[in-house]
Amino acid sequence: MLKCRDVVNTADQLLDGDMNHRQLLAIKMHLLMCSHCRRYVRQLRALLRAIPFMYKKASDTEVSKVMEHVHSHRDNYP
Amino acid sequence: METDKLAQLRSGDPVLFAELVRDHHRALIALTVPIVGISEAEEVVQNAWLKAYQAIGSFAGKSAIRTWLGSIAINEAKMQLRQRKREWLFSDHSSEDPYTEDSLAQRFTGQGQWQHPPALWHLDSPESLLTGEQLAECLERLLTAMPDNQRCILEMRDASGLSFDEICSELTVSSANARVLLHRARTQLFKLVDHYEETGEC
Ligand SMILES: [Zn+2]
Repeated sequence: MLKCRDVVNTADQLLDGDMNHRQLLAIKMHLLMCSHCRRYVRQLRALLRAIPFMYKKASDTEVSKVMEHVHSHRDNYP
Repeated sequence: METDKLAQLRSGDPVLFAELVRDHHRALIALTVPIVGISEAEEVVQNAWLKAYQAIGSFAGKSAIRTWLGSIAINEAKMQLRQRKREWLFSDHSSEDPYTEDSLAQRFTGQGQWQHPPALWHLDSPESLLTGEQLAECLERLLTAMPDNQRCILEMRDASGLSFDEICSELTVSSANARVLLHRARTQLFKLVDHYEETGEC
């Protein structure tokens, strides 16, 4: 029988779709009965979706610096 | 990305490209800092943008644009190290038991049941979960303090969407160790957000 601790340890694999049938069955059985772990998995999934958006947008100065660099190499355009 | 926008971008539209820079520049900096260090990350990313602009016509749109840009930036970072004849020392040791040390370890009873289960989070949109002003500050502190090897894998896998295969070959790290490091990084983030959602501070 899986413990909650095991669910937290393997939730990464679950969300990566990287589990064999037996592991998947065991974790699904646990999730059916444990609302804490259901919440953990749901919120971990949300966290992972949010990570790519955690950065601030670049400032105007940063953007123009990049664009100037790009334009100064105009000769190398494809 | 919509098809007509992608076509326009691939034709080298500078306005759309500048938009791309605005959206992804900070993420690329964060991705390369663990490889070349903070003082050289900007130069590396500048060069990566140039490469990206020159190659944008070949971006097929099959992977996410962030992933495509991320691979270019990592390549540039490694090239920089080669030019400077520096070696990238990715520390891959995880001799300790992989899970007893993670940030959520204290939340369980000795029997492995939740003692302090997760709080209920407000899940409005992926864009908003981590961008609250106060949380964003704490998050930045957490990422800065995080060991380089954990940070590196988090940036590659979760922020840029690189595959484990690609990460393992870039870092010459075993997939088992990469997973342990990623797990540690993720649980630190989970703990931070959970505390913030529960108490309103971090
Ligand atoms: Zn449970």
